[in-house]
Amino acid sequence: MTYPPLRFSFAVSLTENIHETQPLRRLPGLLYPDPDDLPLTHGCSPFALTSAGAAEDRSSLPPQGVTTREKSANMASFFNRMRSSAFGNTCYCNSILQCLYYSVPFREQVINYPKRTPLESVTTTSTGQSRIDPNAIILPPNHPSLTPARLMKQQPQGPNSARTAGGPPAAPKTEDKEHPDYKKRVAQARGPTISMTYDNTAAYGMPESLFTSLKDIFEALLAHKSNVGVVSPNKFLEVLKRENEMFRSAMHQDAHEFLNLLLNEVVANVEAHSKKLEVEEEEKRKGMNGSADKTGFEQALASATPKAVPGNTGWVHELFEGTLTSETKCLTCENVSQRDEAFLDLSVDLDEHSSVTACLRKFSEEEMLCERNKFHCDRCGGLQEAEKRMKIKRLPKILALHLKRFKYTEDLQRLQKLFHRVVYPYHLRLFNTTDDAEDPDRLYELYAVVVHIGGGPYHGHYISIVKTQDRGWLLFDDEMVEPVDKSYVQNFFGDRPGLACAYVLFYQETTLEAVKKEQDAESLAAAAKAIGEMSKEPVGLGLKTNGFMNGIQHVKSAVSPTTPTIEETNGYASLDKAVTEPSPIVEPIPQSPNEVTALPQIPTSGMPNEEVKSKKERAKEEKERKAIARLSARQEEKTEKERRKNLEIKRKEMVRKVVEDTKAAIEASKASKVEEDHRVAFENGTKEGPKEGHVAPLGGLSRFKSTSKSFRKPRIFSREPGKEEPIADADEDVASPTGHETAEKPEKYKHRFSGLRKKGSNMKLL
Amino acid sequence: MFVLPPPPRYPISQTTSSPNGGTVQNPVVEMSNVLTHPSGPEYQLSVGEGTYFLQDNLHFATPPPHPQDGPITNPNPLATTPAPPKAGIKLSICITSPRKSLTPLYRQAAPSTGSNLGTYSIKEHEKESRSSHDTSSDGATPHFPSSSTSGRTPIFGEDNSALTPLAGKEGVKRKKPKTNLVKSNSQFISRVIPHDQLGKRLQDHNAEGIFVFANIDRAYQWLDLSSPAPARAQPLMKILFAKAHMLCHDINPFTKGPAHIDVIMGASTGDIVWFEAYSQKYVRINKNNIISPSAISEIRWLPGSENLFLASHMDGTLIVYDKERDDAAFVPETNPTPATAHIPNGTDSDFHPLHINKSVNSKNQKSNPVASWKISNHRILAFAFSPDSRHLAVVSEDGSLRIINYLKEQLRDLYTSYYGAFTCVTFSPDGKYVLTGGQDDLVSIWSIVERRIVARCPGHHSWVTAVAFDPWRCDNRNYRFGSVGEDRRLLLWDFNVGMLRRPKAASMRNRDRASICSYAPISRNRTESTQVPGGRLRSTSNLSNEGADEDELIEHEVESRTVTATLPPVMSKVIDEHPLSWVGFEEECVVTACGEGHVRVWRRPVDVVGAGEG
Repeated sequence: MTYPPLRFSFAVSLTENIHETQPLRRLPGLLYPDPDDLPLTHGCSPFALTSAGAAEDRSSLPPQGVTTREKSANMASFFNRMRSSAFGNTCYCNSILQCLYYSVPFREQVINYPKRTPLESVTTTSTGQSRIDPNAIILPPNHPSLTPARLMKQQPQGPNSARTAGGPPAAPKTEDKEHPDYKKRVAQARGPTISMTYDNTAAYGMPESLFTSLKDIFEALLAHKSNVGVVSPNKFLEVLKRENEMFRSAMHQDAHEFLNLLLNEVVANVEAHSKKLEVEEEEKRKGMNGSADKTGFEQALASATPKAVPGNTGWVHELFEGTLTSETKCLTCENVSQRDEAFLDLSVDLDEHSSVTACLRKFSEEEMLCERNKFHCDRCGGLQEAEKRMKIKRLPKILALHLKRFKYTEDLQRLQKLFHRVVYPYHLRLFNTTDDAEDPDRLYELYAVVVHIGGGPYHGHYISIVKTQDRGWLLFDDEMVEPVDKSYVQNFFGDRPGLACAYVLFYQETTLEAVKKEQDAESLAAAAKAIGEMSKEPVGLGLKTNGFMNGIQHVKSAVSPTTPTIEETNGYASLDKAVTEPSPIVEPIPQSPNEVTALPQIPTSGMPNEEVKSKKERAKEEKERKAIARLSARQEEKTEKERRKNLEIKRKEMVRKVVEDTKAAIEASKASKVEEDHRVAFENGTKEGPKEGHVAPLGGLSRFKSTSKSFRKPRIFSREPGKEEPIADADEDVASPTGHETAEKPEKYKHRFSGLRKKGSNMKLL
Repeated sequence: MFVLPPPPRYPISQTTSSPNGGTVQNPVVEMSNVLTHPSGPEYQLSVGEGTYFLQDNLHFATPPPHPQDGPITNPNPLATTPAPPKAGIKLSICITSPRKSLTPLYRQAAPSTGSNLGTYSIKEHEKESRSSHDTSSDGATPHFPSSSTSGRTPIFGEDNSALTPLAGKEGVKRKKPKTNLVKSNSQFISRVIPHDQLGKRLQDHNAEGIFVFANIDRAYQWLDLSSPAPARAQPLMKILFAKAHMLCHDINPFTKGPAHIDVIMGASTGDIVWFEAYSQKYVRINKNNIISPSAISEIRWLPGSENLFLASHMDGTLIVYDKERDDAAFVPETNPTPATAHIPNGTDSDFHPLHINKSVNSKNQKSNPVASWKISNHRILAFAFSPDSRHLAVVSEDGSLRIINYLKEQLRDLYTSYYGAFTCVTFSPDGKYVLTGGQDDLVSIWSIVERRIVARCPGHHSWVTAVAFDPWRCDNRNYRFGSVGEDRRLLLWDFNVGMLRRPKAASMRNRDRASICSYAPISRNRTESTQVPGGRLRSTSNLSNEGADEDELIEHEVESRTVTATLPPVMSKVIDEHPLSWVGFEEECVVTACGEGHVRVWRRPVDVVGAGEG
């Protein structure tokens, strides 16, 4: 069968088997300008998606590659994040993996299971061997051919090179800096690319499974020194595809289904592992029992270990699992029967112009079981009409809400995507709890959204928007990561042009206090930014260029450090960039010479002097101002001038104050949050290796801090319309055959554990 | 049944983005409003008192984008460019003639309620009082004596001698703005389109008739809903702004008259326009964002004030402006009182809730702003004045409801939503209750007197966007209010003080989290050690001599669902194809507006209107 062309996977939407069979196929957003710049073997995708051959090529790079990589690790200051790259059409996988990675408790459990011996850390195995790098293909991000400048040049002059080499015809004519292709290329140029082709199964003591490869990815993400980079989850996908037939094709897959499968797999793998351990222990104990003289130590060991290990196998359940109670009331005998079901996520039906709250309410609405759908009453015996309702009895810690955007339509005989406007708030409580539910008023906060872009269920693209602890909200679009405003999260209600709709929402348990704390911190940061912004701007001019100056909301939190250089050609972009907000967290920024050149306008350099001056002046002028204020109206003009002067000075002062406060606030909140500290320490420990563990936190922290710097940058781009049409056509052509296929998917994938869907005629979903 | 999804509409080169982010499928270049009179059961609202019929269905023309603007909608769904703030249609309704009293429905407020407000006194309605008959845009405050009638209510800023010379005297001819709208060549205003026979239509206007002022996209329209049908749809005047989108506006009920209507508008760009409708003149305030650069989410005239109005900026500041004063660059004035000089420190989440940047008592009142208060850094989404002209209810994006004594510039209560942002707020006509609507799909009723939540009202299927009392169906025990939301529904509610009951589950259960109540005396005893999170009590340090209890700040906890009364709606109906943005109650009709330009006028049941006809 033919695969539908992919809608939005720009840079790396290669089919899986590309390196084996297909001729060199390059995409418009290519990385390497000329074939002779880099020796590429058998059409390996630009950024080392797969094969070992490519790895060798990389390793044979001149040493300069290494040095540039190190530089870039300094330079790449923005996101302490790696991006999962697309492998074939794997955006469904990438978006979910990102969401899970930023589900902090989940990540910690993955990292911590199975329990390590004290000698081990994440980076090394018990044998002292490094866990992370053994076979990982790491591309130097700043290979000369990859510098942004080269990327810039290459585009116009490279028509005869890669772009024509079999790529789709829709190559961008002019270099559009807002074009995702471009952004992605820059993203790849910025950080290393880790290809996850190795596994540490032996180190984990587990057979290769989805869990182990997931763990590999998480550990690599956590441990890698660079802040920026791309991870190709090759091994993970390999395992996934090997074990699950339905994910084998390069077809568009359903992100929710994948989430469900992954969680179930993790449960299964972990349980299998602990069972195995138990059995081993059992055997050991048997063996020991046989031997008459066992020391007390051995005894203790024998009793301690099995408890410790299986004790924490239920963590997936603890995090994601909730309990639903379905109450069925037989209308004949009035007998109410209850049944509890566990769920890992909730799939809710959508109504037009509704909210998530309303969808959840509807989920628990009474439902009549009648006609063909009668209920078998044990008491009356036989099928009876009944009322059924499902309520939540136990609330999960992490509530994964699946919005059923794909609905089977009878007349078209296939799934259709629903573009209903469904609004979702940043916080949520559940109304549909049972009366005896524990903590029925539990407050949830939204922390991740998986967005589906596309016109139908059989093609499209997934991205995720995730709230990170230290970087605010980030948009993950395959190998592109971009910081976004908080309000951006609510752009995907489904009614905007562009076919982008929220598809899976992740809410996590929180408390009102935590929320308030966060809001206050946000306030402070916003205030710092707003004031900083004001102080940099002539009064009265404002940011009127775009006509909408809106205080907090418009302050972009960050922009990649390399882009300014690139965008200097773009007149107004660089103009805009001159307005530089001081970061809410100030910390001396370690700057390599490289970075200095990359950042022509360094905003902070002039500040300290001014501040010192302003302090003195302020006191003086404060007096003056008061004196003048007392004068009569004749001197109004003078006063006005003076006031303006003061205004500026005061604003600067305010910036400093707020910045200090913010620092204090962050420091304090860090101190207060013990688990947080623990986590950070842990992360650092894992980064630096066990021996330097005690030194690590400092370095780690400062790296965190040094990375927040703010630029404003307008991001506007329009996509070429030409790209659009073929896909729409493809939809028509391909959709119906695939529709049948998906509809006939084996049941076992559908309801393995939960993914509870309310019963009904309309249930089939991708 | 479900609706098939629209065909792929990406990319759409010319799409006008709706205020709520929706799209108008075909960008109408046609510039005139359309009036239709659809009928049928789907255009009727059946409530206990009778049936409301759809009288007028007015579709306001969405103006095409300004030629200087680029394409408004970025077709890239992932574009991270922040969108400018938008708002659906809001209406300001004005009836120029002094309205007849509604005394039959009102009696004196019962003293037995033990109101610690106790300040308003509803005696005989004083017939000559203009301000007691005012109409605010949400129809909430038409019958209550404001400062001019009640000698006991101080006027905002009356203690400040610097402010008095400018205060207008009654009877003096109203001041008009300076710049002529039509002849203006300001770049701020793109076009002004007065009606051909504006003079004639104004002459014909019945003083009892309804004027409507409405914002849609970058246009601002003035309509006469009492004129005969074909002309009714045609605005008396249409103003097209260049960049600014008016997000909110208000008519001064104190100064309105047969030849004078003061309109104040707040724009997405932060600009404020004072516009006098009859003379077609205007003045810009906060020009070039000299005072605040942030968009304005709500703007209202101070009750009983000729010149002063309050604007809420989206950066979390409330600023009182004087339409007669010039602007000057604004430096926050340092305030010596400890409460206001409080600077947030990170150890506690104690961002002081009301930071006075400039007090109304400041001696420096040469220029705007008259006063400026910072309440948070989150967007303020709406505010409302209490009918007794003392309190201010402010709601913001962080889900907080603040009751502020604005005369004393003190925060009195801080409530938190069940979850999500609060989007709208209004006072009951007698000032005893406050209604909020929010992103928790709930309308919440708060008692000002008892300082607690009274009830939560589930019934909407999406976020609530506007709430309003129906003063013609309220008396001192029964209240009628309406709410509209993103679910396109209009809900009507009857709320009776005695009929509210706690959920039955509450009496049986006594869980720790469920036993939350926020009466002032109880909260006083509450300490930090309380198990309940957020149960903190703090007080402003500058307690005034009189009524210390009353003015003490109470930070209220969120009440558990299991102990809070709930109220079902008496009517719920989808009345539009688009999310609704506004609702208001008039004597003869209920008016709703949606984000896409539909304004619908629902005639009240004929037989019962008698109550208001007098």
